Amino acid sequence: MFLEVSVGIIGTFNISLDKLSNGELWLAQFFRGLSDGATYASLALALVMIYKSTGFINFAQGSLALLGVYLAYVFSVEQGLPVALAVVCAMAASALVALGIERIFIRPFPPNRVLPLVIVTLGLLLIIDSSVGIVWQFRTRNLPSMFPDGAPIEWGIAQLTWRTIGNLGTVFLVVGLLYLLLSRTKIGLAFRAVSSNLESAQLVGIRVGPTLGFGWALAAAIGTLGGSLVVPDLLLEPSVMLRVLIFSLAAAALGGLDSMVGAVLGGLVVGLARNLLVTFLDLSELALATAVAVILVVLLVRPTGLLGSTHLERV
Amino acid sequence: MSPPSAATTSTPTAREHAACEYLQVRGLKAAYGNFEVLHGIDFTVAKGQIAVILGANGAGKTTTLRALTGMVVTRGSVKLAGEELVGKSTADIVRCGVAHVPQGRGTFGDMSVEENLLAGAFARKDAEVRADIAKWYQTFGVLGERRNQLAGSLSGGEQQMLAIARALMLRPALLLLDEPSLGLAPMVTRLLFEQLAAVNATAGTTMLVVEQNASLALDVASQAYVLEAGEVALAGSADELGADEGVRRAYLGY
Amino acid sequence: MALAPVVANGVQHRRRQIIGWVLFGLLVALIPFLIADTYSPTIFGNRYTVGLGNLSHAIALMVAILGLNIATGYSGQLSLGHSFFVGSGAYLTAVLVNDFHWSYFSTLVVVVPALFLFGVVFGLPALRIQGLYLGLLTFAVGAVFPSIVRLEEIADRTGASNGLLIDSDLVAPSWAPLDTLARWLHSVPGLSGRVPDGLTSRQSEAVYKYFLLIIVALGCFWLVRNILAGRVGRALMAVRDNPLGAAANGINLPAYKTLSFGLSAAVGGVAGTMYAMQSGFLGPDEFGFNLAILLIVGMIVGGSATLHGAVAGGLVIQFVPHWASQTQTVPGTDIALQGPYGGVILGALLVAIVFALPGGAATGFGRIKARLMPVVHQPPHR
Repeated sequence: MFLEVSVGIIGTFNISLDKLSNGELWLAQFFRGLSDGATYASLALALVMIYKSTGFINFAQGSLALLGVYLAYVFSVEQGLPVALAVVCAMAASALVALGIERIFIRPFPPNRVLPLVIVTLGLLLIIDSSVGIVWQFRTRNLPSMFPDGAPIEWGIAQLTWRTIGNLGTVFLVVGLLYLLLSRTKIGLAFRAVSSNLESAQLVGIRVGPTLGFGWALAAAIGTLGGSLVVPDLLLEPSVMLRVLIFSLAAAALGGLDSMVGAVLGGLVVGLARNLLVTFLDLSELALATAVAVILVVLLVRPTGLLGSTHLERV
Repeated sequence: MSPPSAATTSTPTAREHAACEYLQVRGLKAAYGNFEVLHGIDFTVAKGQIAVILGANGAGKTTTLRALTGMVVTRGSVKLAGEELVGKSTADIVRCGVAHVPQGRGTFGDMSVEENLLAGAFARKDAEVRADIAKWYQTFGVLGERRNQLAGSLSGGEQQMLAIARALMLRPALLLLDEPSLGLAPMVTRLLFEQLAAVNATAGTTMLVVEQNASLALDVASQAYVLEAGEVALAGSADELGADEGVRRAYLGY
Repeated sequence: MALAPVVANGVQHRRRQIIGWVLFGLLVALIPFLIADTYSPTIFGNRYTVGLGNLSHAIALMVAILGLNIATGYSGQLSLGHSFFVGSGAYLTAVLVNDFHWSYFSTLVVVVPALFLFGVVFGLPALRIQGLYLGLLTFAVGAVFPSIVRLEEIADRTGASNGLLIDSDLVAPSWAPLDTLARWLHSVPGLSGRVPDGLTSRQSEAVYKYFLLIIVALGCFWLVRNILAGRVGRALMAVRDNPLGAAANGINLPAYKTLSFGLSAAVGGVAGTMYAMQSGFLGPDEFGFNLAILLIVGMIVGGSATLHGAVAGGLVIQFVPHWASQTQTVPGTDIALQGPYGGVILGALLVAIVFALPGGAATGFGRIKARLMPVVHQPPHR
């Protein structure tokens, strides 16, 4: 009886033993998961930077990355710059845009009131996404990857491509540089002080506004970099980053919204979960739903994510 | 509370220091939104002295300190060594040499002790920051032992010392302390005030202390003010106020 | 211009309120006949055609915003996935009508309790997950609805990506004197130019749907008003303003949080049923992330935690993008416009409202009304 039910359940998911025992398929999906995960991680890092310093989720983070990716497209495909250089230019440009947005739309609000700020970021999401739609229309485009095609290592169908290696390497490089920036530089110290205690940061002479502006610029640049990693695997169109944003939110929630290491781990786990579940449970339509399921399960077990800090509150 | 008796601003001590009044506050008003908390207060602190502000809850003591560092909307005049502070941003006031230890310590809980001290020197540009950190590790020995520990994991007294050491890292011309004894055991409080007095004696730092523990504060202070409902009700030397009948009954409990 | 001040709750004030409501009722009853034919004003040199169906759609959106308001506006639980409930209600109605041959109205018997249950299940995570984490979760859930509808396994019920045509058409019953009414209004001097002399079957269907939706919407607003005006409403607002304080005062936090999600979802489900009634066709992407954001825009722009804010919000999120999609040139100029700049306008409106009028349009109306028709509050009699 029990066995029958189990077989029935498994049957509905179209699991075939062929697939499950296929080591090469496992490895192939593992690599793809790492590659996807790295891209989710970079946008998640951007989300975490804003959350850490300001205490709210910037729902427009994906939109800033979208704008950045389109700029990278313009610089590389239309202006003919090498892709890597185009991405760097786009990162700088989106950082400037973010700096302006922070100055105009975010700084006028008292930093401790979260809800109006979240609403403003939703408004920015609408504005930026629609503007991108107006400027570049809805035609799909291809953004070339920064990394060469081909795979240095192959086991049958399992390929460790240059792109996977590049994506992973980029994310770890970004995390390493971020760590150095935050722990070794004066602006990093200021940023951490502002994240930790806004009032005390003011009292040691830190200019809070410019510091937060710096955080926004940095987050936008990292988000653009993440977008430039993920979009070559997809097609560039105005809603492409929205789906990526969901996976990245899942990653950030998984790791705990205020942990950078958590964001990277979360990104990799979501990337792996997505690819393995979709392949072995045959859930191609539910790739997005798996991300949601990950968020739900993690938050139910640990409401502040795996590595997030918990806060106590007194009445 | 009785009206000003023997003690007024024109005491001999105050007159002696009139020439070198370091911090000069005139008609200071501060408001939260439409609600005015300080109704134009005047006081002075002489260079190298410790002044204490006493007063009941809600008298405006904390607001006075917050007004001095531009943390509330402020009108009036605050002059430090002749330089006007009202109208400057908090960051600029700090650069004028005013360090503020806020009520409830306000350490950076998820940064290490050493990083807290580094942050305290944020507004400084000289190369002696490391030397100063070593110096305060000597003064506050427990901080040296825990230099790599997260500030949030320190005990209340240790956090208070860290907050003061962090403020001192500015090499402040004026140190503002908001209820440094809050939540500390009597022994720790006494130790803390001894250390403050020592810092004052060696570094010559001018200090303005808001304190509920009036007897201890009056011991180390040379000048004292009593705030009542947003106005200065009494002013004088610490000894005079310590001897004042009203102050004794209201704040010293004998 | 302004009327003389009246005393709050005095006879004159009551009279004025009654007159106000009667005028409002007349307007609501008159509008469908006025735009039974499409109405095409020219706004800033751009022709704008609006049909009665657009207005009916706005009514469904008002109810959806009303539902969102219960969980988010009144109880302060950021829900960025309310589209999930609206979509579920719409698809549930469609499946019941198509495959089980129910009438639209009778589907409410299933939709309301089913969606209430949905909401409760949805609200359970909200007990542990707070604030932005909840916003994040609901955002994801809202975004995932279209891909659930698209699942091949349920394609024969939902139509998957192709969308779902609902078989039953709502036809005005013979006893409804819509045609006669239109003829009569046509004979009223001043209205004859606008109201057609008798309705075509297509027009009378649209007018009939409009009145059905108005009735459902009035029922929803009335129920929600009564629920929120009492003990439950006060408890929900206490939960919003200070959850721990509310709990310390004996409010059963989990119960009220789940209740608010349940109510919110049930009202959202009714909005979905209304949507199905109005359009007769459902596509998965209509209930995606975009709708969720639009509802937030409507709630904030109209004024969160207010009932008439939901009305204003519904009108805004229906007509701003609709108008924008038809406008070809920048108002007042010849510069051509192309693309989704309705989204830009809504986004800008959202940001502007948060900046300038945190209470939303409802507060703005209130201020204007207080200026034009002042009401003075009298101290209580001794």
